[in-house]
Amino acid sequence: MSQPITLEDVLSKNETELLAQLSEKELARLYWKFRGLAKTLERDTAFWNSTNENLKVAYETLDEKERELAAAYHIIRDDLEVAQSVQSALLPRMFATMASELELGVYHKQLTEVGGDYFDYFRTASDRYAIGVFDISGHGVSSALVMAYLKAQFMTIMERLENPAEIVEWVNRASYEFLREVRKYATVNFVTFEESTLHYVCGGGYGLLLGADGQEHIFEKKNHFLGLRQKPYLEEQLPFVVGDLLVLYTDGMVEAQNLEGKDYSVARLNDVVRRHRTLPTEEIVRLCVEDYHSFRTQDSDDITLLIARKTA
Amino acid sequence: MNEQNAPPDQMLVHGSLMVGFAQACVNLNIVAGRDATNFIKGLQINDWYPLAQWERLQELVVRSYGNVDPIMVKVGIAMMTGWYHYGPGKEVVRRGASFLHYQTGSGGFASVVRGPESVVGSFELELFDKSRGKAIVHSTTPFNRKMECGVLIGGMLAPGDIDYVDVRNDEDSDHLVVEFH
Repeated sequence: MSQPITLEDVLSKNETELLAQLSEKELARLYWKFRGLAKTLERDTAFWNSTNENLKVAYETLDEKERELAAAYHIIRDDLEVAQSVQSALLPRMFATMASELELGVYHKQLTEVGGDYFDYFRTASDRYAIGVFDISGHGVSSALVMAYLKAQFMTIMERLENPAEIVEWVNRASYEFLREVRKYATVNFVTFEESTLHYVCGGGYGLLLGADGQEHIFEKKNHFLGLRQKPYLEEQLPFVVGDLLVLYTDGMVEAQNLEGKDYSVARLNDVVRRHRTLPTEEIVRLCVEDYHSFRTQDSDDITLLIARKTA
Repeated sequence: MNEQNAPPDQMLVHGSLMVGFAQACVNLNIVAGRDATNFIKGLQINDWYPLAQWERLQELVVRSYGNVDPIMVKVGIAMMTGWYHYGPGKEVVRRGASFLHYQTGSGGFASVVRGPESVVGSFELELFDKSRGKAIVHSTTPFNRKMECGVLIGGMLAPGDIDYVDVRNDEDSDHLVVEFH
């Protein structure tokens, strides 16, 4: 006598014609199995609907937060644009005495909207002039604020003191506590010009003097950064006559790297200047920047390059 | 917090329940990412925890969902599926219907809570009619009722001998009406 067909037989053999041979009990099992699956599906659907609804709310919240973030970003962006125009307005313009004796070329680029590289032209107490190139530690808004602070310090003292070492020392003393408090410091390359000489104070940064007679002088870094120590600054004197070329720059260009991780370097920049020393200063600057751009992968710091030729 | 540190008249919940709940939530992706790590972090399966800690755990899920009922049902099912297949369930429950007796007896709900009866409440089988496939469980515990519905569904389906289970508490939230076939 053959065994009665069970629901499991139908399912395992996958033969639907066996359904007709199922007993009433087995058919009832089939019914409840189907109802059970439908109930599981109903519970799962309710679960997924609920999680989907939760996701929808999460997306809406995310969307709202994104709008808030965009609005906040817009405000910050506007503020930075204002800060950028303020900082640009703080950058110097040549005054008459300077313009009559110097031919200048400058490349100045902050890494972000505002930054910590700073250069300036000053009138001295004896109506001569001076140039300063500074690199404030860090980047961005905080460095830009320190830049404005240092400019104010120099403006305060320039018309009272003549000697560059005294000027820089006064600014260092006046700024020391503030810079310590805000944990900033600044390199300083400060040069005053006489009839046929220049006096410089170099505490960080780079300086190169290419004499028209072929002589070269690299600025000696004998001094400390602004805001690091409170001790006197030393100054050096060099001849600076018609045709001489003075090059001042911060570390932004020379420390930028190429794909192999190699620095652009002081040697390479100085070499580009040497090769084009007879060209107009703006052209020399343009060629330096072009060479720099062909080398580096991307800017990684604020950049200042200033080239001055004595013309009279 | 372990048993010794808890005030004597406070309700305590066993770590296995806490871990089971948390693990089910993580498995179902109800909580994810950093929340999931924090959710389960520090829970010990053999410790006892104050009811407030359980409520905080439960609240993390409840407050995240607009319609939390289907979520809690699913969590309850997942807890008991895990308990049966990866825990001691197979050893103590052989058939789906007997899970109802187990869960309402001394080895079930009563074994994972401690404390004053007025706070702990009860989980009692009021009706069990196997021939009609109907049972009623009366619950006065402080736990989420929909999760308890899920616990009954998951526990009864886990052995695999029952084709259909539904547990509803629509008419009276404390009376869990079970239909099984």
